[in-house]
Amino acid sequence: MESMIRSLQDVSSLAREKGPKKLAVLAPDDEEFMLAIKTSQHKGYINPVLIGNTENMKRVAEKIEFDISGFETIIGNDRQAIADLGLSILFSGNTAMVSKGQIPTSYIYRSIIREENKAGSGMTISVITFWEIPGVDHLVAFTDTGVSIKPDVKMKTEILKNALFVYRLLGYPKPRVAVLSGQREIGGTLASYQAYQSLREAAAAGGFGDCEITDATSFTEIFLGRGGRTADYGNIHLDRMPHILLVPYLDTGNIICKLDFFLDVTRCSLVATSRGPVCIPARSDSSDNIVEQLAMSVVLADRMRQGVK
Amino acid sequence: MLTSFKEIIDTVRQEGAKRLAIPSVEKRDIALLSMAAGAGLIIPCLLGNGKVIEGMIKKTALKSLDYEIIDQKDRGRALSTAIGLIRANRADMLMQGGHDHQTLMDAVTDEKNGLKKGKLMSHISVFQLPKQKKLIFVTDTFINNGPTLAEKQMILEHAIRFAAIMKIDAPKVAVLAAIEQINLNIPSTLDAAILSKMSERKQFGKAIVEGPIDIDCALSQAAAARKGLQSPVTGNVDIYLAPEIDTGHLLAEALAFFGKLEFAGAIMGTTNPVIMHLPFVSDESMVVEIAIAALMCKKGGDNA
Repeated sequence: MESMIRSLQDVSSLAREKGPKKLAVLAPDDEEFMLAIKTSQHKGYINPVLIGNTENMKRVAEKIEFDISGFETIIGNDRQAIADLGLSILFSGNTAMVSKGQIPTSYIYRSIIREENKAGSGMTISVITFWEIPGVDHLVAFTDTGVSIKPDVKMKTEILKNALFVYRLLGYPKPRVAVLSGQREIGGTLASYQAYQSLREAAAAGGFGDCEITDATSFTEIFLGRGGRTADYGNIHLDRMPHILLVPYLDTGNIICKLDFFLDVTRCSLVATSRGPVCIPARSDSSDNIVEQLAMSVVLADRMRQGVK
Repeated sequence: MLTSFKEIIDTVRQEGAKRLAIPSVEKRDIALLSMAAGAGLIIPCLLGNGKVIEGMIKKTALKSLDYEIIDQKDRGRALSTAIGLIRANRADMLMQGGHDHQTLMDAVTDEKNGLKKGKLMSHISVFQLPKQKKLIFVTDTFINNGPTLAEKQMILEHAIRFAAIMKIDAPKVAVLAAIEQINLNIPSTLDAAILSKMSERKQFGKAIVEGPIDIDCALSQAAAARKGLQSPVTGNVDIYLAPEIDTGHLLAEALAFFGKLEFAGAIMGTTNPVIMHLPFVSDESMVVEIAIAALMCKKGGDNA
């Protein structure tokens, strides 16, 4: 078993140690993103292969004083073609990972689905967003925060399997999972709560391997327990925080996971494909944040190559 | 504009205490009622077993304050009597007391004898942001599971009315969705776009409604600028309209627990304020919740 990765500091240290990894960079046409590529390359995380419009890449690189003349460059002008090319070289084993630049995320998902289908992996595409929360001694992941708009139980099963796969790679032998729901005492039983019940039964039957699905389905239940009546913010049990939070819908996951713009948490998102991680920073992310996301991809790429389960 | 919980309490204090009916009162309610009554916000009317209630308040601060006890041992009758007091203008607001949420809601929404006014009730979570010196409102966070577009319009109108009670004349509204672009496969983005267009046509008065908008653009003007979104709403939102209850409820909890934000709630769509006890609300914040309810009384309820 590889060492357990508990923080983004662990991730950075390992990325330095295990890098540089060959990274297909898709359409780095934005200064903030190119700056993240520059920083990650200087830190020794990545060896970039730049794919996109040559003029755009040169212009942006010059603005941030980044000499890209020594890097492999592949010319591409059509954004879907760039995404397709990036994913095909990941799946052919020519790069260890991919990162999205100025390309709509849906184009990347489309390319991933095509490559997974060709590879016959049967892997569902889902996005995992990690939070590093002060006071919590492990990384916390929200999923799916990017692909499935309204996943049913079958889809949630696949989403959860993906997250468990990633957590085991990160060194967590028995991840704890909360299936989140807005279930209250009123309003009947929500679909999200029915999904919790089904997934908990499946977990009890061994459908997810070693893992625990907690009986908490909301943050109140996680921190105060069931039947808790009054919050005492000075006495929140952060040790009860599960590793994986399976969100009800895309809206829920995306809205909550990006609260890092407001809260004292650090966020980092990726898609784990069957052949390596795909880094999918939001267009609003800062370069520092993108560097952390790239570091996470480096570590996962390394562990996936080693076949750590 | 009211910018803090303290300002809300101070405003209500100047107006004088309101009468609060609480059915099947429990011991755990007494400290809260003592605080609220001591702050001059309410005169509690406690319904339940009279002798038991006397025993509960015997050694508390409430004993020396104004209060009323109505002896009604039957729990169901205590609840209906409490609502009856309000309907007869003998009390101004209702508090949950010893009844569960569903029982309370069933009584409040009873067509003949309840307090519901209009087609829909909604819940607003009020958060205090001390650094920004402002209050923000997230809705709906408790009542409507999967509101239709028409219901979202009503929830939004409730929130705008609530903002007016908080003295925010032209609230900035973020109609939240996963992305800031309209995606025909994501219903929340379509609903948001329509509400935003209605706002452009002044169907929500002075409120500025932006949508669809993702949370990063709503929270950060810089993030919005990086996505090419220019709007007076970005980075300065007063009202966050959630797409459905899973998101609304969990978002409110996330802000409370991870942001450690002081929180209070308000129910809209009733003739008189109804105060519910949510588990992630501290006792101190419950006092604020009572003050908010009192402020709503002053304005004649929410006028839904």
